[in-house]
Amino acid sequence: MFPVSQDFAPPFKLISPFFILGSLFYLLSVLYLFFFSIENISMLDAKVVSFVHLFLLGFIMMTIFGAMAQLVPVVLEVGHFGVELFYAIWPLLSIGTILMVTGFLNYPMILPFGGVVVLIAIMIFVMEIFLTIKKVKKFNLVMSSVLISNMFLFFGIIFGLVMALGYAGMINIDINSLLKSHVFLVIVGYIVITIMGLSMVLLPMFGLSHGFSTKPLKIAITIVSLAVLSTVLSSFLDSKLFAYISYMLTALGLFIYFYFINTIYKTRARKEIDIYAKSLIFAYFSLIASLILAIIYLTLDYEPLLLSSGWLMFFGFFAFAITGHIYKIIPFLVWFERFSPLVGKQKVPMLADMLPKKSSSVQFIFGAIGVVVVAVALLLQDDTFIKAGASFLLIGALAFVRNVFYMINYR
Amino acid sequence: MYSKEELFLAISTVIDPEVGFNLVEMGLIYDASCDEEGNAYVKMTLSTKACPMHQLIQQWVKEAVLKMANIKNVEIELVWEPEWNITMANENVKKALSRG
Repeated sequence: MFPVSQDFAPPFKLISPFFILGSLFYLLSVLYLFFFSIENISMLDAKVVSFVHLFLLGFIMMTIFGAMAQLVPVVLEVGHFGVELFYAIWPLLSIGTILMVTGFLNYPMILPFGGVVVLIAIMIFVMEIFLTIKKVKKFNLVMSSVLISNMFLFFGIIFGLVMALGYAGMINIDINSLLKSHVFLVIVGYIVITIMGLSMVLLPMFGLSHGFSTKPLKIAITIVSLAVLSTVLSSFLDSKLFAYISYMLTALGLFIYFYFINTIYKTRARKEIDIYAKSLIFAYFSLIASLILAIIYLTLDYEPLLLSSGWLMFFGFFAFAITGHIYKIIPFLVWFERFSPLVGKQKVPMLADMLPKKSSSVQFIFGAIGVVVVAVALLLQDDTFIKAGASFLLIGALAFVRNVFYMINYR
Repeated sequence: MYSKEELFLAISTVIDPEVGFNLVEMGLIYDASCDEEGNAYVKMTLSTKACPMHQLIQQWVKEAVLKMANIKNVEIELVWEPEWNITMANENVKKALSRG
């Protein structure tokens, strides 16, 4: 028996808390929807800001960080600088998220404390990634995208802390001028560019796609990065021109990215539309719908369009891109830990056998219907529709939590 | 000592758990040979450079060949040229993957 290297698969006990907590925060975010009424839904409402942080920090960031513990060595082709640091990230990120969500809702004074805890968690992550990247000798497009996205995250989170201090009344700053930069640096600069970069590795790997050009992705990442920089400039210069340039560049970059994804889809050898493929197809169509709504908003200046666009970006694109990958990453890690030492000695399951087929379909169908219904409800400003969409999402989220536990406990 | 076909047959016991096919029918094994002293050589690739199981898969190939009688040593050369694509897989794999 040869020793099994852990270089490309960190211990599962290190990563599993990220996925468990991420799924629970997703469920909490869905439950939160029941407490909204259409009158208080606006972009800067404290309840909305609190909800957005619960979803983005608790679910999206938590899951991305956990996934990166495994994916960084895969895409950077070097071992982690200190993968044990990830043991500190999930507790800090959880506590920080809860403090921030509570702070936005009722107790602004605790907001900076939550902000500092989140800052520490994210700084540990970013520094670990930077020190791992330092070991890379020759950069490719994916490695560059990891570097760029983490630099944006670094600045985005600092902007966020400054805003939290201002929100709590500890320092005197113009929060609104920093808001756009914070939003763009973290959401577009980090989350979107991370998804863009990783998709170049993961989508062809699972779809067995070959022979596609990566040039469109390079162009798309460059344009989206320029959009983020343009937003930061617009914040400091108070320039509407730079702001509009950044919106247009973001939309253009993401349309080019969608074209790139379509070429991967068309060149794939593996035609099976499994839960992974279904989730990603829904995610990418949500992205396009979100972009179209955002462009219409820029022309009509009607806030429900922006809300619906943001909703589709978060719960459609981000959430389904992530849940789809969870159905690949967890089975791999569990299989690697429990079954790989048994290969050649006894019959071991295939990765696809470890998926809860019916329950993952329930998660997909109810989740997707919920996303569409809430998107329409936001456009129509209809309270009953929001609750109806939330009900579908709740069933989907419960199934998702169940699926995560099922895969983690598969024996 | 062993022919290329015999070595390929031994390696065909190694299955990629993600796609469910063995490495030989996937077309991932480019060459195999063995001398009279029991030193085997396998030239292979993977479907992607980013495969997180690349170390494991090479270990399985090594173990599969080492199970053959009188094989003492196995050298594995992992190459990226020619780059693998689906045309290198056998007809059964191609059909199964394209069925959806």
